[in-house]
Amino acid sequence: MKHNEKAYAILITILILLAFVVPYTLLRNVNAWYGSFLFWTALTILVIGVNYIMIKDWGKEE
Amino acid sequence: MNTSYVWWAIAIYIFISLLIAFMSRTGNQNNMVGYFLGDRKLGGFVSALSYSATTYSAFMLVGLAGLTYRGGVGALGFELIYLMGVSLIAFFGPRFWVVGKKYGYVTPSEMLGDRYQDKRVAIIVAISSCLFLIPYSAVQLTGVGYLLSGLTNGGISFSSGVLIATVMAILFSYIAGIRSVAWTDSLQAIFMIISSTLVILILINGLGGFNGFFHTLETKYPESLSVPGNGFFSFFTFIGMTIPWMFFSLSNPQVSQRLYMPASMKDLKIMILGFMIFGVIYTLVAILWGFSATIMFPDLENVDLATPLLLSSDIVPPILGVIVMVGIMAAAISTIDSILLTLASVFAKDVYGNIKKKSSDKMQLRIGKIIIPIIAILAYLFAEMELSIIALLSVASSAGLIIVVPAIFGTFFWKRGTAKGVLASVIITGLIVICLEAFQWKPLGLASGIWGLILSTSIFIIVSLLTKAPVEKANEFIDTVKVALQAEKRK
Repeated sequence: MKHNEKAYAILITILILLAFVVPYTLLRNVNAWYGSFLFWTALTILVIGVNYIMIKDWGKEE
Repeated sequence: MNTSYVWWAIAIYIFISLLIAFMSRTGNQNNMVGYFLGDRKLGGFVSALSYSATTYSAFMLVGLAGLTYRGGVGALGFELIYLMGVSLIAFFGPRFWVVGKKYGYVTPSEMLGDRYQDKRVAIIVAISSCLFLIPYSAVQLTGVGYLLSGLTNGGISFSSGVLIATVMAILFSYIAGIRSVAWTDSLQAIFMIISSTLVILILINGLGGFNGFFHTLETKYPESLSVPGNGFFSFFTFIGMTIPWMFFSLSNPQVSQRLYMPASMKDLKIMILGFMIFGVIYTLVAILWGFSATIMFPDLENVDLATPLLLSSDIVPPILGVIVMVGIMAAAISTIDSILLTLASVFAKDVYGNIKKKSSDKMQLRIGKIIIPIIAILAYLFAEMELSIIALLSVASSAGLIIVVPAIFGTFFWKRGTAKGVLASVIITGLIVICLEAFQWKPLGLASGIWGLILSTSIFIIVSLLTKAPVEKANEFIDTVKVALQAEKRK
């Protein structure tokens, strides 16, 4: 596995762990759209962003 | 809902889809790679849409919306964590793709059999795929039956609904193999994302706009906006549902086989990113759909009625309601036809191809084509009979398919993995998972999928360490991946 691929793997794993932990702790009593609803949506968009940065150069000449 | 509208909509859907399916009949159809993988020449855009249509079945607007209705926002977390888990294919996708090209693999089980140097691995993994996925397809068919009969108040019978879906799935997979599946899938995906987004915008608008919509939820149903909320999504239930689902992109062969199909790394990239964007939008639509039902019909006894009621409510224009209903039917069909095609290729390549000596590619293709309708009819009969064992195997499918994930990790990242390790982990864990589901056991409060993952990983590692690894193949395989990846990423 290439070095930077490992870094991305760790980063994505941390983000996914946050998706399990934060809504059940910090956002447990936030009963509003800006609680878990926004958190999960924003986190997913962030993960997609990380994926984009990681794979954006596939198939491009270097 | 007016039955004749529904029939017309179904007729138009069938006509357009068949037209697209016939138009897709280009290129080589005469060998396994041509028929089942589209010659590994699928474009990125079609790959992304077809991947979306195959992944998202009728479950989204019926099951996930229902889950939101029952448990609130936890359903969003469940589905979005799955989507984050699709990041796995940013790591595994290029690896599947390069070895597929290099060694000519048609199915993921064939890859495992070759990598671990044991035909029995391919056969056992192939059989376990069929064992769980045929019942899963049957339940999808049942869903179409209920939806159509429910929306037309019995005007279209349950059996007619199931029959239409079965025939369409056979036709789409038969007409041009993966090409007709991919193109009809793409049509379905575009159609569905546009029409369901429209419906949800109309619903939210009708329920007071974004602010009014959430204000109602916050004041009347505050527990629906947090977890564990009303208690439905306790933490253990949540991880029990979510973790097996996170590995879906690797564990389910109808999607992992897609990793062999894109024409280039660029197309693979478009497939992954395109699917993720589609996934976020569609998930939000399904969740908001469930929330709308919470606001509009707060006291439903049967959650499955939420979607039919929404579609026939006064806020949604009847034409749009009918269109989305047909879209949900098409979503089920687009999942089933991909499963049919994958299972046919898996059976022809890994079961028939390994048991029968000297089976030519042509013969395998012929067997594969014969198997497509047989599997479909089997699923049809299971759906009609509504056997409890079928429902059980379908529920067990996400837990039951996950048992192959450690072997897939080992394929690319662990040279010490052995065939005996794979066989032991798949067979033993498979049986345990079925027992756990059958008797509804949850040892230590953990769901069957979590046990499936823990046990299959432990058994795979322990048995592998005790047996002899195919060192030469492992070295050659993993080195090949490394070299090919570096070359391809620069192309």
